[in-house]
Amino acid sequence: MKSEPLVLGIETSCDETAIGIVRGRTLLANAIASSVDEHARFGGVVPEIASRAHLESMLPILDRALTQAKISLNDIDAVAVTAGPGLVGALLVGVASASGLALGLGKPLYGLNHLAAHVSVDLLTHDAPIEPTIALLVSGGHSSLLQVDDITSSVIKLGESMDDAAGEAFDKIARVMGLGFPGGPAIDREARSGNPSAIDFPRGLTQSRDWETRPFDFSFSGLKTSVARYLESTLDYRRDDVAASFQEAIADVLMLKAVAACRKSGIDSLIIAGGVAANSRLRTLAQERCDAAKIRLRIPAPALCTDNGAMVAALGSLMVMAGRPSSRIDLEADSSLSVTTVSLN
Amino acid sequence: MTISLAIDTSTSRTSVAIIELGALLWHGYRDGATSHGDAVPALVAQALQVQPLIEQVVVGMGPGPFTGLRVGIAFARTFAISRTIAVLGVCSLDAIAAQVREEDEFIIATDARRKEIYWAQYSYGKRIEGPSVDLPASIAQRGLPIFGEGAVKYAITKNDEIQFPDLLALVGISEDPLLRVSEPMYLRRPDAVPTNERPA
Ligand SMILES: [Zn+2]
Repeated sequence: MKSEPLVLGIETSCDETAIGIVRGRTLLANAIASSVDEHARFGGVVPEIASRAHLESMLPILDRALTQAKISLNDIDAVAVTAGPGLVGALLVGVASASGLALGLGKPLYGLNHLAAHVSVDLLTHDAPIEPTIALLVSGGHSSLLQVDDITSSVIKLGESMDDAAGEAFDKIARVMGLGFPGGPAIDREARSGNPSAIDFPRGLTQSRDWETRPFDFSFSGLKTSVARYLESTLDYRRDDVAASFQEAIADVLMLKAVAACRKSGIDSLIIAGGVAANSRLRTLAQERCDAAKIRLRIPAPALCTDNGAMVAALGSLMVMAGRPSSRIDLEADSSLSVTTVSLN
Repeated sequence: MTISLAIDTSTSRTSVAIIELGALLWHGYRDGATSHGDAVPALVAQALQVQPLIEQVVVGMGPGPFTGLRVGIAFARTFAISRTIAVLGVCSLDAIAAQVREEDEFIIATDARRKEIYWAQYSYGKRIEGPSVDLPASIAQRGLPIFGEGAVKYAITKNDEIQFPDLLALVGISEDPLLRVSEPMYLRRPDAVPTNERPA
């Protein structure tokens, strides 16, 4: 295989219809259409609305990606697609579109893991090799801590959220506070003028016995309840203080566990990805804690942290360069695909 | 005469065919209401072994259960783009109706799930009403012969020979620009239950 494969990646696991194009380790295009506005009035992603939007946006986004990259479809060496985890109806639009392209072009198809793709996008931002690293993935759909020994074949799940994803907690609290959807950016903005230590909200799964039984798992439902109760029982609360204190509790617990994972595994590298990686407090705190613990911190560019097609293309490119086998043309999308399965057969 | 790749995923049957010189060159299908996703590429891969040179794609645009329907349309669209050929859409019910020979006035009904049917009424080969979605009993009341998978499932017909779209007919219908459809026929609004409010 050529050393610099040209790979097109399709991502439709949630509400983003996205296509990225990567040559080797170089990003050529990152085109995205989001149906987020259509979901806003429901306060969360409506799967059928997302799936309809994927079908509508697919060809316009493909066209935009090819124009950005200044290539034609015939130049592509391989087609990569998110095969899971995600919303099943949404995944199926991406997988069907990808298999149509692959069969039409006569090129190999790679059905890839969304979480591994989040980690591998770092290769487009930083020159250093990805592995070995600990990865913290935090978004509206997932909160996981992973150990990555080889992104094309060996990803181990250290822990994950027992209840809400971190981004989901932001959405729910924003709704209770009347701040709108998606909640992450709204709370980040509100928190700017607030005092992060004004209210001592609980840090889930950080009691001493939790460190023995569930050292790398997260729980945000207690925090959510605690904030809701505080808002109900406090008449003259300051909204910015609540936002800042809530955000602090989330960032604190994420970083406590991420740094602990680095220590335990002896790996001095941490990648943070997913939509919540755009949170300004998490970014600052992550840098402080990693500096103190002598961990090399890498956070991909914000546009590459949220769901996008470039990350799928990036992982596809690594698969091709590593000589990994492609997937069957009739691969089955798997809405609950385990993170240990980097690519489908 | 064109070489067409025809695909329909509007019913529980995933059908793929190659139509060349107005005749069926290859036809394959797989049954299963949740298997459209892997059935379409698997069948198309087989079809391309027989005839790799495709000149246009014709796809059933429904009505049909959303997830399976979209798989066929999504695949048809990107396959066509990758070959820089046209993709034409047709109402899938019309391709079932084309198989009815003995009746002048009749109804085609497919399964819309939730105990409802997608249906349309035909007179002398032309669709005169629908497609729409309704309860089987309310359509059976019309007293016309009914054909299609939905009619069989809800026991409002005695004929179970005509149930699924015929792909030779699908391609034939696509030759009439007035009968082409460019967007999926959902006929229902999305269920608006956000993921974070669904029971785990
Ligand atoms: Zn994601």
